[in-house]
Amino acid sequence: MGRFATRIAWSRNIYLLGLLTPAVAAVMLILSIPVAWLVRISLFPQDQSYDLSGWSAVHYMKALTDDLYLESLARTTIYSLIVTLGTAILGFPLGYAAARGKMRRWKIFFIVLPLTLSLIVNIFGWIMILGQNGLLNSVLLSLHLLDHPKQFLFGVGTVLVVLGHTYLPFQILSVMSVVRQIDPMLEEASASLRGNRWVTFWRVIIPLARPGIVAGCTIVFILTISAFIIPQLIGGASVQMYAVLVFQQMMTVLNWPFGSALSLILLVVALGFAALLRAAAGRSGGLRSVVAK
Amino acid sequence: MLWQNNKRSILTWGLFQAIAYFVLALPSLVIIGASFNPGSVLTFPPHGLTLAWYVRAVQTPAFTDSFLLSVELASIATVLSLLAGTPAAYALERYRLPGLQSVQTLLLSPIVIPAIVLGIGLLMFCNLIGIGQGLAALLLGHFVLTLPYVVRTLISNFSLFDVVLEEAAQSLRASRLVIWYRVILPNILPGLLSAAIFSFVTSFGNVALSIFLVSGSTATLPVQMFASVEHSSDPTLAAVASFVIFITGIIVLGIDRLAGLQRLV
Repeated sequence: MGRFATRIAWSRNIYLLGLLTPAVAAVMLILSIPVAWLVRISLFPQDQSYDLSGWSAVHYMKALTDDLYLESLARTTIYSLIVTLGTAILGFPLGYAAARGKMRRWKIFFIVLPLTLSLIVNIFGWIMILGQNGLLNSVLLSLHLLDHPKQFLFGVGTVLVVLGHTYLPFQILSVMSVVRQIDPMLEEASASLRGNRWVTFWRVIIPLARPGIVAGCTIVFILTISAFIIPQLIGGASVQMYAVLVFQQMMTVLNWPFGSALSLILLVVALGFAALLRAAAGRSGGLRSVVAK
Repeated sequence: MLWQNNKRSILTWGLFQAIAYFVLALPSLVIIGASFNPGSVLTFPPHGLTLAWYVRAVQTPAFTDSFLLSVELASIATVLSLLAGTPAAYALERYRLPGLQSVQTLLLSPIVIPAIVLGIGLLMFCNLIGIGQGLAALLLGHFVLTLPYVVRTLISNFSLFDVVLEEAAQSLRASRLVIWYRVILPNILPGLLSAAIFSFVTSFGNVALSIFLVSGSTATLPVQMFASVEHSSDPTLAAVASFVIFITGIIVLGIDRLAGLQRLV
């Protein structure tokens, strides 16, 4: 390479560095360093929020041996799998129809609106529907299907329904964006080769839509396993999902080292599942396709 | 097509979708209905119409103050994210160099890091460096929360923008700065606007991250609503929530008009 070419490469590299530095520095400072500091806090031996010093893995030992936390983690993982599977089953036909069917513009509006709307608005709406003076009770009472108001809130089933309702749009959107890229000719070709609709579905559409399904499942699993606001407000004290325990340790008990350890275990399980899904689906899905839609 | 072309099949599909979209919208519909209902308890069917709860919402400083704070926070976070995210998205789309893929994964990672981990980490970090909870902490959090959405939206915009225009400007000896504000920025203006709006809405509605970073005197509107939901079932809250639904709906329709939602999502 001549000197002129080298100079151009240098100038380009400095330009590139200038373009990227602000954003990279911001994410490092606001995300990477705080998470690293969280790792350090989780390794303090104390059970409080002040006078922290020394090193110990005692909080990880407790989190990984105490039945309360292990059981909560197992339950939360199962709940998350249920919500992920449920939203995937509902989200696929809806996403497919949103990509191929009529009235696309309005469908997309009604998918995107709940996603951009504050989570708290959605929860408040559900409380108005399911509460003791709520819509569901008034409807059931006026139809004489119930004698007196029933409490629909504060149960695991309700929490899972609300979680699924809140995160379903992610599945619909992920499926929609991949199905839009599948040539309808492929389905017609399968039909003309006498593949019935089931064969077309399983052998043509599902394999081609797999990256979208994987991306949707990944994001829904991560969101569900780390949910703490919906379980707290819809589930109350009866539903001890893992992230609720994390929240309590950090904000009420003020046992920062233990809370930090719990939050990092949560992070590892969430990202571990994402990696697992990606491996199961081959190279065509997973975390990168979630973020680089 | 996946569905059969007979009447019953089409009807079943249509019905399934109609129910699904109705249920998706149901919580918002119930809130809007309740916000105009005169009684202090939601009844079905509603009797009468009133704007009294909206009037009371506007007269409640806890809501108006936190609304203004949320708008301020979302605006500043959006400006910061655009300033940092636009050049980064440009670099990631224009250059194909080893390592850039990892930079992209890093910049988009706040989307997949659970909000509770980010929130706790940032809370601990802000305590460490001595700024504590409050506006500064919220700003840092919302900056990193909105940045990936700006980067993602703009990467797809830059990929549609023809590099030949830049090369033409370059061959006319325009400096890089001139190319930026005379060629690049005007051409991606719709993308910039929709990135800004997405970023604004994301920040404005956030509760999972904010809840760790607010102090007693600085609550954002969603955090204020969280506290109210926990403690009472006042219809004033329905008016506030309806107001949030209207604003968000108008903004999403705005993006659709501006850039086309179909292209963005």
